[in-house]
Order: sequence, then C-alpha cells, then structure tokens
Amino acid sequence: MSPQAEKEDNKILILATETCAYPGADSVGQAHSPYPANTYILRVRAPVLFPESFYFDCFKKGISGIIIMSCGEECPYDGAYKALAKRLDAVYKKMKEMAIDLRRLRLTAICTVCNRAFLKEVNDMDKSVRELGPPLVNPSL
Amino acid sequence: MEEKKNKVGVYICYCGGNISDHVDVEEVRNRALKLPDVTVARTNMFMCSDPGQEMIIEDLKSGKIDRVVVASCAPSLHETTFRGAIERAGSNPFIYEHANIREQVSWVHHGDPATDKAAILIASATAKAKHLKPLAPIHVDAKRHATVIGGGIAGIKTALDIAGQGIDVTLIERSPLLGGQLNSLGQLAPYGDHASDILKELIDQVTGHTAITIHTNTKVEAVSGYVGNFSLNLLKKSDPENIPLTLDTGAIVMATGSVSYTPFKGEYGFGQYESVITLPELIRLLKANTSSRSMLEVNGKPIKNMVMIHCVGSRQIPGIHPPKENGTLNEYCSRTCCSAMLNAANQIRETFPETSIYEMYRDIRTYGRGQEELYMQASANKVVFMRYEADEPPEVSKNDDPDYPLQVRIKDGLTFNESLTVPADLVVLATGIEPNDVTNLASQMKLPIGTDRFLLEVHPKLRPVEFPITGIFLAGTCQAPMDSGEACNAAGAAAVKASALLSKGYIELDPFVAEVDTDKCQGHGACVEACIKEGALTLMEVINPDGNPVKQAQVTPAMCLGCGACAAVCPEGAIDINGWALKQYEDMVDAIVSDSVAV
Repeated sequence: MSPQAEKEDNKILILATETCAYPGADSVGQAHSPYPANTYILRVRAPVLFPESFYFDCFKKGISGIIIMSCGEECPYDGAYKALAKRLDAVYKKMKEMAIDLRRLRLTAICTVCNRAFLKEVNDMDKSVRELGPPLVNPSL
Repeated sequence: MEEKKNKVGVYICYCGGNISDHVDVEEVRNRALKLPDVTVARTNMFMCSDPGQEMIIEDLKSGKIDRVVVASCAPSLHETTFRGAIERAGSNPFIYEHANIREQVSWVHHGDPATDKAAILIASATAKAKHLKPLAPIHVDAKRHATVIGGGIAGIKTALDIAGQGIDVTLIERSPLLGGQLNSLGQLAPYGDHASDILKELIDQVTGHTAITIHTNTKVEAVSGYVGNFSLNLLKKSDPENIPLTLDTGAIVMATGSVSYTPFKGEYGFGQYESVITLPELIRLLKANTSSRSMLEVNGKPIKNMVMIHCVGSRQIPGIHPPKENGTLNEYCSRTCCSAMLNAANQIRETFPETSIYEMYRDIRTYGRGQEELYMQASANKVVFMRYEADEPPEVSKNDDPDYPLQVRIKDGLTFNESLTVPADLVVLATGIEPNDVTNLASQMKLPIGTDRFLLEVHPKLRPVEFPITGIFLAGTCQAPMDSGEACNAAGAAAVKASALLSKGYIELDPFVAEVDTDKCQGHGACVEACIKEGALTLMEVINPDGNPVKQAQVTPAMCLGCGACAAVCPEGAIDINGWALKQYEDMVDAIVSDSVAV
C-alpha cells in the first residue's frame, strides 16, 4: 500500500495572502462560522513565491486539494498577480498531462471581510476532494 | 537526555476558554513536546498577559530555547506583543512564529478535530521556526514632514499637535474653509460651548503656526511612495492651468471627515412638506435666530408644536429600511444625534417656552460624560417623549387643521402601544453621520474600508488610529461616528504616533526581504527578470573567492517588497525571502501531511 493510500483524510492546503485572505479567514473565525477542519491555512505574502514544483510536491506528499486565496485585483504587489496567473496556467497544463483532476487546484480572490466567499470556496473544495479522494501521483514524475 | 539540535519553545494559550473550550490545550501541549525540535512546551490562561510573556523571557534567558512558537489568537493581534517579549529577553525578535488556533481553529471547529488541527498547526509552525534566523531591521531615511488630509476639527488638531513636536506639517482641505462640520454647528453638547468660538481659537492657532502650511480648495490627486518617503500630487481648484503640486512627506494622516445623512424624498415627509427639516437645518435656524419672543419662529411662522424624530438614516435594518441606490444601508448608530437632539430641545424649551416639543425615539443613547444629564434636563423641561419600534416608525402626513400643517402618528411604546396623533407645525429629523467618500484615495494607498464605509483602523484597542500601511494614520469621523471631543482625542493619538515615527529622521522596517545566497548564485538573472519592483534587484559584477569576476544578483533591501517572485524562478534556489522562505513552506507542508501529532 502506498503511503498516500493509508491516509483516510483529505487535506486541503490554503495559501492565504497576509493582507487579504488571511485576515479574511480570521473574519470567518470572528463570526464563529464553522467549516471543515481538514483545511490548513498558510499565511503567505504573495503566492507568486511558489514555483510550479511546489504544487506537484504537495500533491505527491498527499495534499488532496490546494486553494490559493489571493488578493486578486487588490494585490499590494503590482505585477505579482499577473505572474502568478501565468504560472498557474502552466501548472494546470501539466496537471492535465499528469491526469491530476483540475478541481484539486483553485485560484480565487478573498478579501478581508469576504466571509461568504471563503466558506463557499472551502466547502466546494471539501466536496471535490471527498469525491476525488487523495491524489495518487507517481512520485518519480 | 539527548541534546536537541534546534530548541523550539511552544507556548499554548487558553485564551480564558476561547481556545480551551474547544481545544484540549493540555493534550496539544503533550503532543507538541514529542516533536523532535521542541524542548519546552507550556500553557497559560492568557499568553499575552505579563505572566504568560514572562515564561518566554525566562526560557530564553536560561537558554532552554532559541526559537519561539506561540499558539493563540490571530497573529494580527499579538505577533508584535510576543516579538516584544523576545526582545526584552535580549534575543532577536525575528526568531518567532505564530500558530493561529483561535480564529482559525477553536472559533470554527469543535471537539477532537479542533484539537488535532491545533496540534498540526503547531507542528507546522515549529517546522517553520527551526529555519528562522536573527534578522536586523532595514534602515530607511524619513522626511521629517507630515501631511494631514482634511481640515475639519480632527485635521486641525492633528496638524497642531504634530507641529508642536517640531515637525513640519501640510494641512490640505478640499473646500475653501477650514473647520469642516463644526462650521454648521451651534452650541455643542453637553456643556454649551459655541462651535464658532472653538473653531476661531483653533484656526487662529493653525494659521499662525510657522511650521504649518495650509492648502484650502485643494484636492489630493495621487499618492505614491512608502513610509518616510511618500509623494502626493495636489490640485488647487483656483489654479486655471491645473498644474499639479508635488508634496514630499514622511507620514500621512487621513482626517477626511463625514457628512450628515440626506433623507430620501418622502422619508418622514422630507422633500414633500416644507415643514419637515433635518437637525443640521434646525441648528442653523437656531444660530441665526435673534427673536426675543417666547415662541420659536421658522420662516416668520411661530412654532407651537415641534416633533423631533430620532434615528433617521442610522441603525437601519435590512428588510425594513430601503437601501440607497448604491445598495448601502447605515446599520450603525450615529452616536451623536441623541445628545444633539436633546441639546437643541433644551435650548428651545429654555428660550422659547411656548414651543412644545415631542421627541419620538427608538432608544435614547446619551453616552459619555455630562450627556445623560441632557436627557434628565429635557424631562425637567417638559419635553414629551414617545417611543417607536423600527418596524413601525412614526408617519408624517398633511393635516387639515389650518393651525398645524402636519400631523405625526405614532404607536407609542411608553403608553402600551397606544396610537397617538400629534399635530405639528415643524418636524425635525435626527439625520445620522455618513463618512465622506474617499474610495479613490483609499484604493491608491491600499487603506481598508469597513462594510459600514468608514475607514478601518488596525485594531480599536491594540493599534488605534493606525492603518496596516506603515506611516499612514487616521483621525476623526472618517473612522466612525464621534463627537468633536472624541475627534480631538483621536487627532491627539494620531499626531503622537506620526510624530514618534518621524522624530528620529529614519525608520526601521521589517526585514522580510529577499536575500541572495552568494555561494549558490550563478548569475543567471532569472530573478532580476521576474522582479516586479524596479530597482529592487540587479545583476552586479563581483569578484569571486578565486579572484575572477562573476555576475551575481544583489538586493536593495529598502526597495524590495518581499513578494517572492524571484524565489520561484531561481534554478539554484539561491534567493529566498527572509522570514517567509520557500524552504520553510515546504517543511510546513511536510508537517501538515505527517500525522505524527494527530492521534
């Protein structure tokens, strides 16, 4: 049995920008609105930090889904969002080639008070990963 | 016991039950102790309390730990608190990592999953912490000059207090007049000072101050730069050629103020009957009134019965009050109208005893020193109070009685919901406070705006009058409804913070910028191409240890934004962001997927 298959849970990694989405997640907490606990939020300055390989490494390690919660148009780093979008195009292309379901990676913009949008994204991803199960990515790829 | 290579101390907060009601904090502590890099794991009822911080300080001083992880509320609240504690222990404040187990765990998850997730987030923070290294703040020269946007009482007071610290100030007002809303106020609640006297004194001071430059009739068109080195483009309305003025400044205070709510046509008969007016209009009439008769006169007509309706354009409820065309609803209390209404009612009853007053309110909120007394005074002055519910507001309609052009019908909660009709010859609406629209400036400066459309300070208790953007502050009614005294309090606070920031002539910024590992850098230049900030990253020729010239990337720390666009593209992994390194994230993911701490 592969190490991934032994795990029953479907972990969702959330890359949340420190100026928008991360305080947005805090705002959901302040409202005491529950959401699935299989979500792990990493505070990032700008998701443009992550190279293509980071996403595939996450899938290989057993992360079932990744949500990039960016600032979208409100990005404080002018030009970073464009570079991120371009990188993700390449990531999606490679995911297709590797037969990784595209629903496992999602780019969205979450503002500091976007509680409803945050909950929708998390619940949608949770539904998808429950349906898809953990990713079975060949570690040698 | 075997000596551990890394010595991470983990401190877990109960938050007085906020965390411990849902997360088994002691269980999390036991699991954290089993982590390979953790030497100390402790818990406290309130980690932010002095005894909580003292635990960290003692462990650092005794050498038990060299990295700190605190698991508590959101890092926006106490990251700086704990960095401060580390500094007081004589250590570098950047050996710190935060695990958010309140907003992102105990307030949204319950039971075992909450405990498991808290343990995993701590394991992940520990994985990041072991790569933390001491960092030095970045030194930036700052112009000893501040700019205050908005020349109302908050702006004037801010400018005076900053100038009082020996720092030059430019005060910008878009209208021709300084003084803002106070220009239209009369005797101020609760002590009856005349707004005009206070304004005269402050305007004399501000116009006479040698360190203050005033631009009235001037709009701020554009803002750029960063703390210590902002640049503003100003446009004077009087300039026929529209030549923008450039202003270099070290700090900015937003004091952009508010306006009084304008009722929609037909709201309590407003715009429909000329005898329906707003509270600011009544105040203007009272200011101009020189009559010595015993009955108030408005436009030559004596007022026998005056009805005052509270909460107009404030405390609006979705589904009951119609939103404006742009979809906005003022759900907040405007705070100042109750006292202002009672103040006006007392003035009228005491000056014109033959004018009767009926106050129709939802709740009387005379908060603050000396203000509840106004309510008692109004009762003694025989003002008649009637209470209505939001879903059954008073109805203003035409009256056939030639003596009273209007009548107001109310279901009065104070007389067990009796339906009462009051004939009236004047109806006054207590219109609330709305912020001035500064969306354009706010979006240029990346300033947060609340759902109520007021500007949003970082935290009302921990970091009041500050924006998350270093070097920009706020004061007065642009941040919330407040009276002139409160606006001056905020102004004083903003002035002190701006002065303290600029006093040294330089500023120390967070060191979270890119750093090149010169041993690994091969000079490909991919990072320079990917960099989004011109001037932050350049390819330089340097002499390597063998004495040969080679190309290598160099960072200009004060310019670097710390976004990490460079780190993603380096084939050698030779550039990374201090404090937010790619390597740290990889290890955090490893800790998340490893279920070692989740039972």
